[in-house]
Amino acid sequence: MKKIIIAYKQIRIVISQVQKNKFKLVPKILESVIVASTISASKTNSTLAVGIALVTSSLFVVTQAEAGFNIPTATVNKITGLFTPVPSPLCIAGSCATEFTAKILLFDEFGTKNLSSTNSTVTLPPVLGDCSSMPDGAALDTFLKEDLNSTPSRLANISAANAWEVKIKDCVPGVTSTVAEGRPSGEEFAHQRWDEFPAQKYFQSAQTGARDNGGLRDNRQMHGYKTGEFAKGGLYYIDVDGDGNPGTQGLKIRLHPALPVQDKNSVWTFDGTLPPKLLMAKYGEALIFRHWNALPIDVSANNGFGRHTISTHEHNGHNGAESDGFMHAYSYPGQFYDYHWPMVLAGHDSINVGALSVKTGAPDGNGGITQVPGDWHETMSTHWFHDHMMDYTAQNVYKGNAAMMNYYSAIDRGREPANLAEASGSSDKPGYGCNYADNNPISNPSSFNVNLCLPSGSGLDWGNRDYDVNLVLADKAWDTSGQLKFNIFNLDGFLGDRMTVNWEYKPYMDVRARRYRFRLLNGAVSRNFKVAVVQALTDSKGTITSYKSIPFYMIANDGNLMQHAIPFPIKTQPIDPVTKKPDPTWILSEGLPEQGIAERYDIIVDFAQVPVGGKVYLVNLLEHQNGTGPSSIRKLVDVIGVPAIKGVAATKTSPAIAAVPAVTVDGLTTNATYVADGISGDPVVGKFLEFRVQTYSGTDLSMNPVDYMETVTVAGKQVPGRQMIPVNKPTPAELKAAVQRTFAFGQSNGTDTTPWTVKTDDISGGGLAADEHRVSAAPELPILPNDLGKVEIWHIQGAGGWTHPVHVHFEEGQILKRGGVAPPIWEKYARKDVYRVGPMLDSTTSIDMAIRFREFAGTYMEHCHNTQHEDHSMLVRWDIERPGQTLRMPVPMPDWNGTTYDQSISLPTVKFGDLSAKKSFKFP
Amino acid sequence: MKLHDVFARFKITLIISVMFIFSINPIYAAPENSPWGKDYFPNLELVNQEGKKVRFYDDLIKNKIVAINFIFTHCGDSCPAETANLRQVQKILADRMGKDIFFYSISIDPEQDTPEVLQAYAKRFNVGPGWSFLTGNQNDVTMLRMLLGLYREEIKSVSLAEHTTSFMIGNEATGQWVKRSPFDEPKALARQLGRVLSTFNAYHNSDLRTYDEAKKIPEMRKGEEKFRFRCASCHSLGKEDGIGPGLQDVTKLRNKAWLFRWLKAPDLVLAEKDPIAVELYERYNKVLMPNYKLDDAEVESLIQYMAN
Repeated sequence: MKKIIIAYKQIRIVISQVQKNKFKLVPKILESVIVASTISASKTNSTLAVGIALVTSSLFVVTQAEAGFNIPTATVNKITGLFTPVPSPLCIAGSCATEFTAKILLFDEFGTKNLSSTNSTVTLPPVLGDCSSMPDGAALDTFLKEDLNSTPSRLANISAANAWEVKIKDCVPGVTSTVAEGRPSGEEFAHQRWDEFPAQKYFQSAQTGARDNGGLRDNRQMHGYKTGEFAKGGLYYIDVDGDGNPGTQGLKIRLHPALPVQDKNSVWTFDGTLPPKLLMAKYGEALIFRHWNALPIDVSANNGFGRHTISTHEHNGHNGAESDGFMHAYSYPGQFYDYHWPMVLAGHDSINVGALSVKTGAPDGNGGITQVPGDWHETMSTHWFHDHMMDYTAQNVYKGNAAMMNYYSAIDRGREPANLAEASGSSDKPGYGCNYADNNPISNPSSFNVNLCLPSGSGLDWGNRDYDVNLVLADKAWDTSGQLKFNIFNLDGFLGDRMTVNWEYKPYMDVRARRYRFRLLNGAVSRNFKVAVVQALTDSKGTITSYKSIPFYMIANDGNLMQHAIPFPIKTQPIDPVTKKPDPTWILSEGLPEQGIAERYDIIVDFAQVPVGGKVYLVNLLEHQNGTGPSSIRKLVDVIGVPAIKGVAATKTSPAIAAVPAVTVDGLTTNATYVADGISGDPVVGKFLEFRVQTYSGTDLSMNPVDYMETVTVAGKQVPGRQMIPVNKPTPAELKAAVQRTFAFGQSNGTDTTPWTVKTDDISGGGLAADEHRVSAAPELPILPNDLGKVEIWHIQGAGGWTHPVHVHFEEGQILKRGGVAPPIWEKYARKDVYRVGPMLDSTTSIDMAIRFREFAGTYMEHCHNTQHEDHSMLVRWDIERPGQTLRMPVPMPDWNGTTYDQSISLPTVKFGDLSAKKSFKFP
Repeated sequence: MKLHDVFARFKITLIISVMFIFSINPIYAAPENSPWGKDYFPNLELVNQEGKKVRFYDDLIKNKIVAINFIFTHCGDSCPAETANLRQVQKILADRMGKDIFFYSISIDPEQDTPEVLQAYAKRFNVGPGWSFLTGNQNDVTMLRMLLGLYREEIKSVSLAEHTTSFMIGNEATGQWVKRSPFDEPKALARQLGRVLSTFNAYHNSDLRTYDEAKKIPEMRKGEEKFRFRCASCHSLGKEDGIGPGLQDVTKLRNKAWLFRWLKAPDLVLAEKDPIAVELYERYNKVLMPNYKLDDAEVESLIQYMAN
């Protein structure tokens, strides 16, 4: 057995080398190698397998330093010269964290307030102590509870001084004057269309060090701990400090209740507290987010990672560039930055200008719909916002500078009907009427029920979260004392060895036996996931005897509701990397498609199919060896029995491993041999979230995703299913007229073989590293405001065996082709803002997509969302320009005393793009 | 101060730089418990181009702002380009080089790159103060590359020329380290070193303007970006020489076909002992122009750009 494991490991190492170096050879050879080795290994000895391994390895140089896994991403050992990962201990000082013992933390709402008055008497609490300190938590809460202390303004507020000016002068020699707002001064970063979209609501938060939750947001939750599952007796009622007042007051920042409290400089996050934060926003209600920077003045006070200057990117928001979080528009400690998020639908200027459709609307608070202008096909749902500081995004996001944001609309209201009458669309509450109860499809103009009635709850007019749950997935690592750690010198990508959901190590969640919507966000730094949903089957004593995959549905991709609900697990037709044609064999793929960093998949899982008391698990199947990208997709049966590795690394000879019982999943049985110690296997594959099914006494009137599949069976016949949001494809004429651009990630010229660049179009002969000065593309707004936005076609290419989840800011696009052919069904019916290229089954090395630019202008970005890649130069600046604009935007250079500007430069192809691609690209 | 003086008077320099740090650094101290301090970086021994032994941590990076790259002197293309670009950065930061900012080019080919060879290399590029060229034990150098995250595993055995040309810039005192590309704009690199990794009051850039005065420039012409990112570190478009000749009137001075070939494959032209190539090579300190593997269209656009 021992020999078999060794042979298996060697082969896997070789395979990973094959994948890295000669990707074109891979899929079939890889399969045959695995099959051959398995067969040989399962016979009497492993000679053949070792033989294969040795023969293959002679083609590639495999040394100890590079072989196998490096998780958590380790630095090289100075004595041995090897990368030797040290597992993040699960037992510290005798206190042990075990999987599925921590109750999940649900997101806390920021809570927005009406922007009516300001309170100029309150000031950001001072830094007490030395230059590396942060403000006192209680004082900070008092401050944040008050109204804004200055009126938000169109131009950055540079007339007032930094709230910490005295201390800054003390700590930063040479500073003689400071400014209050970090937003770059002047017209370029003035809020666009400020008078047209006046902010009605605001919220403020301070980015600051970890501290105990002081209850700041306890009375800002829309549910008020009074409705549905959030009311006393409900599943999600919480009173952390047990004082009788519900809420998260008293919650400490710990990655598991049994693990140590995080130091103030280990975690920097919104308010400095857990749970993670959620912004609930609705269309037509423009917002101001005042983001205070309350981090240490001393840049070195960071426990080894994270930068005290920050920029906040609302991921895929239809916002002006000044509020998009450009990497070089950032704030310093003591400053704030006002982000203006107008909450308008794309197409605002050109489509449905008179706001004449109930489909383009927002909840009015009383069962009705407030109509807004724009294109209802552009309705968005699940976003997040996170740090975008140049060179430090990975570190800052990992450290906690990330929050989620749900958009609410007439279509996606977060309100399911309380009863059948509501579902049918009774006249006094038309906003509650369910589309499924309407005989017209939603795309029909006479459809009157536009609410999709997605699983949510019915206690509130909108934004019910009883059965609509935000989940952020991220791998983390910590040091021997339990403090979060990050390796800033591993530039290929950083992997943690512990899976967390909503900042807790492998939690559990009580759920009702009914439909749930989960908004899954990949919030990792360098890790992609592939998530399966699996039910545990137990014997009469409750012992797990086997597992089975249960059907579930993807309804939104990258936060955008799709045309159809996609059933999973699904049979797929992978693209042959050599012939570029779909493989004729359809294979059943376990779980969701690969989910790259920053990708969001909204899914519906129906727990009614599981007996009360039953358990369902989310399982990660995507294995990584290092931060360059996933190395393989594991089978459920191989990894579901992965034993928890407690504290120290298990070895292949450990009796604990040998004692693993046989596991059966969907009828397949194996003795799990997967050693998830970070050296022989990836500790983050396997089960990571446990659902415990409880009785549901209500009637589930939420949308049944089955009705919205591409085809449905009615009376034995296959007919087209209902639609959620149909994809509004650009017209052939628009595609033909489109400027085309090519962005090749990780390619470069012959003298710079490092994969750290983006090559734009075909002009410069080589890849270029990120430079805030360089404009690489400059799409133009339409000449007349009511023209449709100009369509462009962007070709996104990857290279080699690396995976790059490429994110384009500002606007989602539609994938025309993936790998040169039609995209898979979950992308065909989707609008995407992350375009994943890479070697895995669900990725390809190229994507051609169509995207429109309208309403706002300025400096935006496009980059690899493996944030370690992004920070190390895999980023491109592009500007949306106004018609006739001939001069480039200058680049802001923020500093303690305010922002100066430097000259920008631009590539010669910024206006016309890649002409050779335009000639040769064949439209789908 | 000449380069060798810096090391000849090492102790004095150290005292000066300590004083300097006191005078311009913030009053807060380096973090005692930084994971990226003396426990992380080995204090191994290297030899500089003067033949002087230095300790990596104590002498080279402790309390300093540094740029560290890995080169080898017989490297044909990427290293000279990298060195030439860093030379531009060094010029911008001239008043701080050797005071709080230091550059280190460490050879990954210690067998060939003896201190004498490095000395000659440094002279060919006319490097100024604060920039040392170092060599050492091969394993030690590999270790440094790994610790700095600049070690490319999959291609290490293929050829030295495939080594990563990225380099690290950092400030040991504050524990901030960032990777950069040698083809970054010198100005942007200078700002990273001189301001972002440094202190507020040490940085002065007269190019920066307030919003109202910020210069806005039109698009680059065809060939300009190539010139800017690949040629400008050695050549001016005027008469003034850099590492290579000033290029005023070069399209008139040289035969077009010759120029085309020279830009396309200077290494081959020199290998053929073309008289103009040999003369240029000798005149400019035996620094051979890199072969950037440009395609015909790129060469054409460069020639057009230089002609205008």
